[in-house]
Amino acid sequence: MTGIAAGLTGFAVLLGLMAQRVPIAVAMLATGISGYWLMNGTLPLLAYLKTNTFYQFSTYSLSVIPLFVLMGEFATHAGMSRALYRAAAAFLGHRRGGLAMATIGGSAAFGAICGSSLATAATMGQVALPEMRRYGYSGALSTGSVAAGGTLGILIPPSVILVLYALMTELSIGDMFVAAMVPGILAALGYMLAIAWFVRRHPEAGPAAERATTSEKLTAIRETWSIALIFLLVIVGMYRGWFTPTEAAAIGAFGTFVLAVLHGGLRMKGLVECLQGTARTTAMIFLIMLGAEMFNAFLSATQAPMLAAQMIVESGLSPMLILLAILLLYLAMGCVMDSMSMLLLTIPIFYPIIAGLDFGMSREDTLIWFGILAVVVVEVGLITPPVGMNVFVINGMARDVPMVESFRGVMPFLLSDFIRIALLIAVPWISLFLVRLLG
Amino acid sequence: MAEAELLTEQPHKVPVPGWLLVLCRWLAVFGGLVLMAVMLMTVASVVKRGVFGAPIPGDYEMVELGSAVLIACFLPWCQITGGNVLVDFFTMKAGPRFNHLLEAMGDLIYLLIGVLILWRMWHGVAELHGYAEQSMVLRLPIWISAALMLPAFAVLVVTTFFTMIGHLKEARA
Repeated sequence: MTGIAAGLTGFAVLLGLMAQRVPIAVAMLATGISGYWLMNGTLPLLAYLKTNTFYQFSTYSLSVIPLFVLMGEFATHAGMSRALYRAAAAFLGHRRGGLAMATIGGSAAFGAICGSSLATAATMGQVALPEMRRYGYSGALSTGSVAAGGTLGILIPPSVILVLYALMTELSIGDMFVAAMVPGILAALGYMLAIAWFVRRHPEAGPAAERATTSEKLTAIRETWSIALIFLLVIVGMYRGWFTPTEAAAIGAFGTFVLAVLHGGLRMKGLVECLQGTARTTAMIFLIMLGAEMFNAFLSATQAPMLAAQMIVESGLSPMLILLAILLLYLAMGCVMDSMSMLLLTIPIFYPIIAGLDFGMSREDTLIWFGILAVVVVEVGLITPPVGMNVFVINGMARDVPMVESFRGVMPFLLSDFIRIALLIAVPWISLFLVRLLG
Repeated sequence: MAEAELLTEQPHKVPVPGWLLVLCRWLAVFGGLVLMAVMLMTVASVVKRGVFGAPIPGDYEMVELGSAVLIACFLPWCQITGGNVLVDFFTMKAGPRFNHLLEAMGDLIYLLIGVLILWRMWHGVAELHGYAEQSMVLRLPIWISAALMLPAFAVLVVTTFFTMIGHLKEARA
């Protein structure tokens, strides 16, 4: 069997297992182990398995992940979403659709201390949904804005997915975070425009609330400055090289822990819940990483990724066409598959291809740009039917809203997503200029 | 538990023995406390570096050795709460009993892999012990950290066995 054929067979088996409810990580492990065994033989496999788990789990650069997950858990338990939402509502609430815009603003700010989309959507939903329903916002607009706002969690740094991408492609995590800032802010603004457009057409969907007084605005700012401080310390410190990503994550986790104890009323019971939540998410991520590592060890034994990359790069197809094909594939896969496992599985295959193509930029710039595009595209998968995890979660919190209506409410946000993706593809500079400016 | 519900694409609930749930939970909390210790040590090291110009000696390797143990401790909890993501899309309409059967199959595969890894890691630990490999700065024996992963993987194997049995029960019910 040629390398390419072996690689493709491996993929077919992997997808077959995944379609039958085998957990994604386990399917990768099973295919990877059997493939490695077939390619390299019994003894090398048995030798490989002796220590690969230990070395994978004890890598210093990966220790950033449980710490960021912990930070997100503390942030979720610290009542920060309430403070952030109130602050955003104090400035936006008096506009038509303003409370939905505040949901987006609050989610963007919460995403700045929490790297998970579901957690962002779920905690913001608890605060924002009752408020919007109280002012008579339609089910579609209220659930749609919370679900869409949640997707900002993985784009706005610190984000676990950006960390994984940087580690896999050997880019600096700080660079990746800085590169995501402008696209993240653009996303939030785009969503707000989508809301403004939606309430122009359906004024009854988002009536204006009363205007906040100046003293209310000041209180709102006072309650949120500590969150901004943690965010700046983590991002700037990491980018400036004051500390390693792991150290930045430890400082961020410690800061949110202190806030959770002081303001969020975190006590023993809550702490145990935070630790359990961290355990679950961290274990899920590391099992997927272990599986992806095993599967990629098999793939590199077949040399398929290298051969495929060579073939594609030499095929003379336009680089832009190849990029679009990859992004479309992500969009399609993102509709049925978990985004993190998707990236862990495909980035090792796609990034040599992308790095080999000529977009008129340096290799590093190309990879940063592609990383932002990939994350933005998989994030869209969180709100598209049929799986759209964020929509399911939020819809589960607003029982009186039919699922169809929630998906309908997401449509204006999807439209804004597609416009933004086109913009990010056409103008790589949006993702890169801040990295250059600060570097 | 509200938090735990959110992460998977509709896992099917499965009956497991109470003692095992307690064991997995406390193993996860233990791992979490190790993580808190890693966090506090790292913060202290950064502060010490800022104030005195030198970090806590061996801070990186303590993070590494701690990470291996704590992540291993997290795995059984993830398994028993159905936290490992799976693709729900193609089997959504197949009915709960058939889906439980499929998930039992998935657990069987995980169980076999778990046993394989546990067996190989046992030999790996023996090897690390034999070479007396030490960490760079503090000269800590590395094998201890790897050895602490073994009980966690043993619990993982037991957990996978019981979730498989649980899924089979549900499939027959």
